[in-house]
Amino acid sequence: MDLREEILSEIDGKTLNYCFSCGMCTGGCPSARISDSRYNPRKILHRAAIEGKLEDDIWLCTNCYTCQERCPTKTKVADLLSLMRRIYVKEKGIPDFIKPLVENLEACGFTAQIGELENKRRERMGLPEVKHNTEIKKIIEKTGGGL
Amino acid sequence: MTDKYAYFIGCTTPFRVSNYDLSTRKVMDKLGIELVDMPDAGCCGLYYELINEKTYLAMAARVLSMAEDLKLDLMVLCNGCNGSLFRANKKLKENPELKGEVNEILAGIDRQFKGTIDVKHYVKVLWEDVGVDKIKEKVTKPMNLKVAAHYGCHLMKPSEEIMFDNPKDPASLDELIEATGAESIDYYDKAQCCGGYVLAADKDIVYAMTGQKLQNVKKAGADAMVTVCPFCNVMYDANQKAVESAIGQELKIPVLHYPQLLGLAMGYEPKDLGLEQNRARVDPKMFG
Repeated sequence: MDLREEILSEIDGKTLNYCFSCGMCTGGCPSARISDSRYNPRKILHRAAIEGKLEDDIWLCTNCYTCQERCPTKTKVADLLSLMRRIYVKEKGIPDFIKPLVENLEACGFTAQIGELENKRRERMGLPEVKHNTEIKKIIEKTGGGL
Repeated sequence: MTDKYAYFIGCTTPFRVSNYDLSTRKVMDKLGIELVDMPDAGCCGLYYELINEKTYLAMAARVLSMAEDLKLDLMVLCNGCNGSLFRANKKLKENPELKGEVNEILAGIDRQFKGTIDVKHYVKVLWEDVGVDKIKEKVTKPMNLKVAAHYGCHLMKPSEEIMFDNPKDPASLDELIEATGAESIDYYDKAQCCGGYVLAADKDIVYAMTGQKLQNVKKAGADAMVTVCPFCNVMYDANQKAVESAIGQELKIPVLHYPQLLGLAMGYEPKDLGLEQNRARVDPKMFG
């Protein structure tokens, strides 16, 4: 499916049509400021809408929602960036830097393995043990969310 | 006022900052709020918002269903968990078709999402339900400190959904800090994100972002910074050394979890609140 069609097929995605490229999102974006606009949400939305292209820079969104709070047209900028990342995963797979997190979730139901050491520390602090689970692995398998 | 909650600690807290869990339990106990543990709850599903929406919603619904079984509202410690669980709860409550699809997935693990409870960050519980006045009554040792509040992002945003406080000019955490006797100071770019979400994708950008905020806190003359999210805390505290190397400046800023500050003001000893586990050195003498 064409990227634009895929974005517009989702409720939040439809707000892409509200964007008139004013740049309020980018003016408030911490990632844009720090990266000297290597990450630029205005350009990313424009690129998606006009050229139908997705590039790796979408992974530099900190998900802070400043863009979405500032947007004068109520374009769901941050939600669009999350949607674009899901479309990216569908096309190109899960990026390498997220893989360890998915592996941990499948192995124990947490984003990091809570080892014996951590549970011993918790015991010394009088805190209850944290238990791994297999239910999350089942959910990931059933929804096709695995690696 | 509800005085009993299903207590969800997520991943980062037990893995990196169990002192956050410890200090939260202490202050809730003093306020007469009972917390019911969910030891095998696991992850809220947050990162799957970027990978696969069905997986995300089913993971969040699983945690929500556990609180529903307990017939209790869910209290969270983490801004990330707050955003993820609050929004999934709202989305599934408002969309019966989606709820049906998610319940088909949950049937495989003998669970069901009903939509009978609410999700609350503990800052919301403290500020809205308990109230600043009642908290002040429990303060026996007022803190004589200048504190820089860090709200983080998913406590209040996206505001059209979460509808808590006002992200453009927030008051909740500042007032909770002032309830301890401390002064909550103003500083440049107070609302800026910690950047933690991008840590795995690009360390350089994130450390520059984290460093910028720590420099602003330093410039404003804060004695300590206070966070209300384990991930923000890890960024400013545990990663402070790495940030110092990245920006070439020594910072040495103590970073406390809010319940540690409140706990000290309630008369707990630093050890009761796991203060010795904070990574940037905290001198207990600074609390008087």
